[in-house]
Amino acid sequence: MVNNHKDLIGSYFLDAWRLSSKASADVEMEEEEEAPMELDTLNSSGGFSVVLSDKLTVQYPSVNLHGHDVGVVQANRPAPLKRLVYYFEIFVKNAGAKGQIAIGFTCEGFNKRRQPGWEANTYGYHGDDGLLYRGQGKGEAFGPTFTAGDTVGGGINYASQEFFFTKNGAVVGTVCKDVKGPLFPTIAVHSQNEEVSVNFGKEPFVFDLKAFEAQERAKQQIMIEKLSLPQNVSYGIVRSYLLHYGYEDTLKLFDMASRGTVPSMLAQENGFNEQDDTYALNQRKTFRQLIRSGKIDDAFGKLCDWYPQIVQVDSLKYYIMDGTSVTCFLLHCQKFIELVRDGKLEEAVAHGRNEFEIFFKLAEYDDLIKDCAALLAYEQPQKSSVGYLLEDTQREIVADNVNAMILSTNPNIKDSQDCLHSYLERLLKQLTVCYLQRRSLNGDQGEAFHLHAVLNSSKKG
Amino acid sequence: MSLFWFVIRQLEEIEAMATSKKVITREEWEKKLNDVKIRKEDMNKLVMNFLVTEGYVDAAEKFRMESGTEPDIDLATITDRMAVKKAVQCGNVEDAIEKVNDLNPEILDTNPQLFFHLQQQRLIELIRNGKVEEALEFAQEELAPRGEENQSFLEELERTVALLAFEDVTNCPVGELLDISQRLKTASEVNAAILTSQSHEKDPKLPSLLKMLIWAQNQLDEKAAYPRINDLATATLEDPSV
Repeated sequence: MVNNHKDLIGSYFLDAWRLSSKASADVEMEEEEEAPMELDTLNSSGGFSVVLSDKLTVQYPSVNLHGHDVGVVQANRPAPLKRLVYYFEIFVKNAGAKGQIAIGFTCEGFNKRRQPGWEANTYGYHGDDGLLYRGQGKGEAFGPTFTAGDTVGGGINYASQEFFFTKNGAVVGTVCKDVKGPLFPTIAVHSQNEEVSVNFGKEPFVFDLKAFEAQERAKQQIMIEKLSLPQNVSYGIVRSYLLHYGYEDTLKLFDMASRGTVPSMLAQENGFNEQDDTYALNQRKTFRQLIRSGKIDDAFGKLCDWYPQIVQVDSLKYYIMDGTSVTCFLLHCQKFIELVRDGKLEEAVAHGRNEFEIFFKLAEYDDLIKDCAALLAYEQPQKSSVGYLLEDTQREIVADNVNAMILSTNPNIKDSQDCLHSYLERLLKQLTVCYLQRRSLNGDQGEAFHLHAVLNSSKKG
Repeated sequence: MSLFWFVIRQLEEIEAMATSKKVITREEWEKKLNDVKIRKEDMNKLVMNFLVTEGYVDAAEKFRMESGTEPDIDLATITDRMAVKKAVQCGNVEDAIEKVNDLNPEILDTNPQLFFHLQQQRLIELIRNGKVEEALEFAQEELAPRGEENQSFLEELERTVALLAFEDVTNCPVGELLDISQRLKTASEVNAAILTSQSHEKDPKLPSLLKMLIWAQNQLDEKAAYPRINDLATATLEDPSV
């Protein structure tokens, strides 16, 4: 086993620690794109309309004379892309003299004296005739007219690449989105005393957006569910997961229960690498049990007996962050955490002084040691910001690290990836990257895949 | 334009389309894979969800201890659910119906189709065991009235009773009803109904995620050549085919 592989294992688990220190929502959810918040008051048209000081209401105070004195206002930002659906609503407070109100989406350089839909790359649903305009002066039959008292919404469905419009909470119609580039939510007023207010999501929508999104997702899901899987593939992946992480007792019961129901052919198929899969299985189970029950000294002792190469480092080598020193580091930290858990603070301090000093010289460990030490500062550390250290997941990370290091001593293993990632993890990573890549080749439009969100989605199927 | 030049044009276009596909090398792809962080506890949840939904109750219990993962359902209910499933699989349909009603009488009350399928299975078992008289009586008294409510039930009933008309049922046109797969079908229908009544998804999440992977790869194929995973069972990354 080349040392380099062990180093990869080490840094992987330090990352895993950092990952678990953050709230799950922060890590998985990508940075929220900036969405429109208010109307653009800087570049709105040359005085035909007035945006009130709430920056959400537009009025048309004067008398309109021709087709080039429309009062058009765009949102302050384009519609965000990295989601399934973008949506906003307007409420018509006053339909004015002619009710020439429009809602739609327009491109960046749009001429703001014209109705949305009259110019190329703009789309507008017009209140006075209920027609949809897309890039031409001539509209097409679309939906009902709308006037004072109506709430009208405009949305972009990134999955189907369509615009859709709603009136008083019901979808009126959809139209193909054949334009690329940023699109701004846009409203237009064009006759005296018209007044429209816009809701970019600060207030609840009249339209049930959540239900609409769920429906769109379900449509996609139905398509996906039609695909077929090789027989028993899920079963095999679960089995390999239990093997990989050394959940030996679960595996035994799993095998016992599936005897007879799952064709034995599966076992034969995987027979050729079975031996590697069960490598040190019983020992790996033992270490996991010890670490999970907080018996770090025992785990350390057994490692020294069985796998000295994993934990024995001459002091000079501590200066290098390698796989071995990471394993030692994680075990020392866990020992410290267990002492704090048991309320043995003095012992914890003594242990920390003995063991941490050497790691402090490396920047890689710095933040993690600080987190451990911070446990001492709280009377109820489990409720503090470093309380995550006292949770089960922290023990699991240490146990997983030892598991991976033992796997790396298997002379038949060629790639550190095999020690680190179960088949399940590799498939989930592939799935995530495929979604991300597809989105980035699609002008950044659409949702990403988040395992965490899938797992916590509604329970009823 | 002659046909020859037309074909050449077409070929050129196809080639242009092929080359316009973005090629992502293995190295680039692996870097992207490394940037993705999957939480261990989420994977544990996924595995637990599989064990629970598929009814591996002992394994689920042990997995809870070995991994600290909490199941998303009361494990005791799995035992009951599996007992029902097993009863159907063994042909003890009456027993299964009783057990379902012990679990929650609403399940069959609110699910006439499921109830019909269970009764149909009961009829099949009677026929299988050569209890012709009993089968006829059961069909007429229990099943026929239900058939009046629903045309598709009636058709199913007629199809099942047809089993009685053949001496060699294994080779008759409706012989598949006697197949073990019919029991499994009914068993999985009951299983799903019980899960739904416990506000739990009737299918495990893992197979859906694997299907999503197949789908996502197919979608991405249209736009790029990249390292695929063709064999889900070994999760092997293949070199991009260019």
